[in-house]
Amino acid sequence: MIDFTLLAELLPVFGQAALRTAALVAAGMAGGLLLGFAMNAMRETGLRPLAALYWAYTTLWRGVPFLVHLFIVYFGLPSVGLRFDPFQAAALTLAVYSGAYFAEIFRACWQRIPRGQVEAARCMGLTRRQVFTHIACPQALRASLPLIANQAILVMKESALASVITYPELTMTAGKVVAEQFVYVEPYLLLALSYWALAVLINRLGGWLRRRAAL
Amino acid sequence: MALDSSPTPPPAGVLPMISMRGVGKSFGAHRVLQGIDLDVHAGEVVSLIGPSGSGKTTLLRCMNFLEAYDEGEVWIRGALLGYRRTPSGALAPETDRGIAEVRAPVAMVFQQFNLWPHMTVLANVTAPLTLAKGMRPDRARAVAAEALARVGMAAKADAMPGELSGGQQQRVGIARALAIHPEVMLLDEPTSALDPELVDEVLEVIKSLSRDGMTMVMVTHEMSFAAEVSDRVVFMEQGRIVAADTPGRIIRHPEHPRLQAFLRPWFRRSLQGGAQAGAQA
Repeated sequence: MIDFTLLAELLPVFGQAALRTAALVAAGMAGGLLLGFAMNAMRETGLRPLAALYWAYTTLWRGVPFLVHLFIVYFGLPSVGLRFDPFQAAALTLAVYSGAYFAEIFRACWQRIPRGQVEAARCMGLTRRQVFTHIACPQALRASLPLIANQAILVMKESALASVITYPELTMTAGKVVAEQFVYVEPYLLLALSYWALAVLINRLGGWLRRRAAL
Repeated sequence: MALDSSPTPPPAGVLPMISMRGVGKSFGAHRVLQGIDLDVHAGEVVSLIGPSGSGKTTLLRCMNFLEAYDEGEVWIRGALLGYRRTPSGALAPETDRGIAEVRAPVAMVFQQFNLWPHMTVLANVTAPLTLAKGMRPDRARAVAAEALARVGMAAKADAMPGELSGGQQQRVGIARALAIHPEVMLLDEPTSALDPELVDEVLEVIKSLSRDGMTMVMVTHEMSFAAEVSDRVVFMEQGRIVAADTPGRIIRHPEHPRLQAFLRPWFRRSLQGGAQAGAQA
């Protein structure tokens, strides 16, 4: 049976943990979006070494499990003198990891812009940079919004792995309650509901942004 | 690349607006253009006709280097387009900036309009002015409003392109080209993507431009229209210019057998339709 008194007691604890998860996701998203965008700006220059770097980054980071990246950053990098606390390590890893996905989302949206629009701009005298900022970007970013919202939910779910390196977000909090109080149903129920609520929130936010940016 | 031969500038005196000398272009092993010689003079309206795949559009696109030609030379107002002379006398690809400078007097209207869908009609017309020409925004808006009025689209300045009919979009496309005050306009099948009932409103606009003395080169399948507005009609087949002459000799009374074969379906249709101006004129 569900112990509702226990649920009520746990609620503030989980609320706090949800905020930590949200902070982690926000930091990871911000970094990931910036990185993904920068990678595409690089790729758009058409310079071969930069295109190769783009390819290496997106394939490497999408091809290796998130947990492995997290271990390398948190346990591996200190051996070369780079030390991060659990939040920094998790946020950094999330940013670089999700950046590879965002880069591919942006790339797909960029390549969907009809060639004729770019030709019209170029033969009217707009420079490559102006085509990028005034013609391609606004459209590509708009088209990427639904995909970004979807990816944000995946980022949020990956953030659960930060519990492995002891960042006290939702999953670690639930594990702690289980270990200390030997109850399972209530903390895991709250855990699932918390993630679900966050996902709904992200969806709502995405929908709101999409409507604001609609043509 | 047969660019090592020293380019001969067009003769002095009145420079042609556009001058093509021995222009060729290949896509891989496929030669889409060869040995093109063509001069377009100020105030002239030149129509390019011919079967699909004959190289009309490629020829037009070479005139503003949207397509890089790989043989011969294209001159705009006496300036070589797309290539520049190196100190050793050879030709090398021109920089983006250099290309933009040479083609600045050339504007283009596209079959698919190619408006920017995230901008209002007005912004579509002002963007090239503010971004490429460095015009102040208020001045650009005035110039754009004038161009939109010219094509009868002033009332739709705040609409988004997606809200317009094809004919209206193409008129905005023409306004966008007009606003940069070009010396020559290239029109690539400007009515081919339109529903039949929307063709006339666009042709009317083009006709009025020709009355105002605008220099135009146009790829078209509208034979009656070409016969009506053109000073010269160029018939192309398999990447070559087969015949270039007055609309009377090319369209109304074609002598070349290939030209007759190409125009036969149109003659038949216009006889049935009866009211085709070009066929009867």
